[in-house]
Amino acid sequence: MRRKIAAIGLLAGCLSLPLVVLPALAADDAVPQAQVTLDRYIDVTGGKAAYQKRRNEIATGTMEFPAQGLKGTLTRYAAAPGNEYSVIDIDGIGKVETGVVNGIAWEMTAILGPRVKAGEELNQSVREATFNAALDWRKIYPKVESAGIESVNGEDCYKVILRPSAGNPETMFFSKKSGLLVKTTTVAVSQMGEVPVEILVSDYKVFDGISVPTKVVQKAAGQEFSIVIASLKTNADIPPDRFNPPAGVKALLDKGANSAPAPAR
Amino acid sequence: MLAVSYSLPLAGQTTATTSTVPNQQGLQSKALDLASFEKVWTTIRDKHWEKNPGGLDWTAIHDEFRPKMELAAGTPRARDVLREMLSRLRQTHFAIVPGSVYADVEPSANDETHGDGSTGIDVRVLDGQAIVTKVDSGSSADRAGVKPGWEIDGVSGVLLAPLIDRLKKDPSLTGLTLERAVQSRIGGPIGETGRFAFLDGSNHLQVIPLVFSSPRGVISSFGNLPPMHVWVETGRLGNTGYIAFNMFLDLVHVMTQFGNFVESCNRCDGLVIDLRGNPGGIGGMAMGMAGWLVDKPDQKLGTMLMRDVKLNFVINPRAQVFTGPVAVLVDGSSASTSEIFAGGLKDLGRARVFGTHTAAAALPSVFERLPNGDGFQYAVANYISEGGKPLEGVGVTPDVEVRLTRPALLSGHDPVLDAALEWIKGQRNTK
Repeated sequence: MRRKIAAIGLLAGCLSLPLVVLPALAADDAVPQAQVTLDRYIDVTGGKAAYQKRRNEIATGTMEFPAQGLKGTLTRYAAAPGNEYSVIDIDGIGKVETGVVNGIAWEMTAILGPRVKAGEELNQSVREATFNAALDWRKIYPKVESAGIESVNGEDCYKVILRPSAGNPETMFFSKKSGLLVKTTTVAVSQMGEVPVEILVSDYKVFDGISVPTKVVQKAAGQEFSIVIASLKTNADIPPDRFNPPAGVKALLDKGANSAPAPAR
Repeated sequence: MLAVSYSLPLAGQTTATTSTVPNQQGLQSKALDLASFEKVWTTIRDKHWEKNPGGLDWTAIHDEFRPKMELAAGTPRARDVLREMLSRLRQTHFAIVPGSVYADVEPSANDETHGDGSTGIDVRVLDGQAIVTKVDSGSSADRAGVKPGWEIDGVSGVLLAPLIDRLKKDPSLTGLTLERAVQSRIGGPIGETGRFAFLDGSNHLQVIPLVFSSPRGVISSFGNLPPMHVWVETGRLGNTGYIAFNMFLDLVHVMTQFGNFVESCNRCDGLVIDLRGNPGGIGGMAMGMAGWLVDKPDQKLGTMLMRDVKLNFVINPRAQVFTGPVAVLVDGSSASTSEIFAGGLKDLGRARVFGTHTAAAALPSVFERLPNGDGFQYAVANYISEGGKPLEGVGVTPDVEVRLTRPALLSGHDPVLDAALEWIKGQRNTK
């Protein structure tokens, strides 16, 4: 269920990858406890054991802003316990690189240059980078609650509100029939401000024993973009320096840009 | 943000065609035009930053214009109806771009035989006259000996003075509209020749044939925005850096050139950023460029206000920031992102702005394609500069108001640039 949230700061965080899923359970009129729904999600997307075999992953795909006529490609590297590097290359905009390494979150774009994230934006990025986060939802979200049943695109879903130790809550909608995550809403934190975000996920496919949604549609600030995952390799041979920040970010870190403390994990 | 803050120069109106009995193709076209109408109306209803767009009863607008759209014979007439509906908003950055504009360039963006041609002349209306303010080196005008300060009397038999008189008398038109109307008259199809009637420096009439060629710069595409020619000019004036670019587009190249130039100028006495005639482009580029000029953290150029969201145009200080004096040059054709950049730096006290009042046309907008193939530009937000005032309808008032004059141009001077250089020189002496 982990995925990066909003892409407000010039596509920062455009990569939204819900990385988990589950098999169908019998329909039941009773609303289950949130914990049940979240654990069911682990089961239907492959189960605890399958997750525990994963140490890292490399995802590739395409992204599109259909209304604006913009298209691009993306590649995302992620590794346990919470390192991440993503690069999106969009026609007319250039590269948008983001990363999290050892509790430091950064971004580098052709348009705004390098920057080091701080405050709640840092916390959010670190949360999103948690590898196999579906397994660790109890650590990431100390409080979860069921909020009934709502329809998402005609599909009855269990609505679950997840509250991290700091920052804005996230509301997730899990298909009553399949147990799969269908939608997430939250208020994303970006450098430019807080923005309500809606993320729809679909087209689940199995990669190395784990079901992953391969289509993500994100709506925020009046804009919409979609991501389609073409490939996902797990336990790949990722160079150890893959998660090192680029030179521009290092220069800022050397200047003391990383003054904000890393969040507790 | 992907919002484009760009004031569209494609203001040409189309003429209505005569009504005919629609055939099958006509019925299809009619359906697409009606779908386009609904798309435009719905988009503004849902995405305009005001719940009542422009203070209007938007449902009533639909009820008024839908019947007109149903009666419109052909896409050009339908386009007129849409434009009339959009004009009710009385806001910039709402436009309909004929599909042919895309068709001309989409087959091959590098096909130099398409698009509007240029003679290399830049023109402004000064004291009611169309005056050459700049001539591109190597252009057909340059080769023919045309000089800044010459007055353009007419082009291919069409006199400019009556047009200027007529537009100046219309209180509903902005200065930007006037400038663009004149600029549109001095362009033409690439490869063709226009007969330009000039009054030279001695006020002698000279009629010179000038060939229209591909405009200066490289063609840049950005999503559904019509492709544009973009150029960057850098140089040193003594020990002051000078940079000009005609649009905030061609993001990767322009940002790279801007950054490299500013960093190479780290020991300069000052920096002049010339945004005269710059209609804007990708709004985020203003933030990115400001990062090379502002070293304090947590600064912003202004705030973009959407219906439910407020986004700050933040500045990320770069690792290497130019801390010397910065002068920004503007005029009535500096619009949108140019105004966001100039106004924000002025409000922060980081730059001194020279020239004349800007276009006051600064709404973040996006471009989409309509079902009938036309382009649709619509504003998605209002923009408040860091000083607390909106730029739309207000613009940026220079710190130092300096006007171009014909005598100054004829004598080889640029009074706006001269004033900026003098100020930078004074700053150096103050140190």
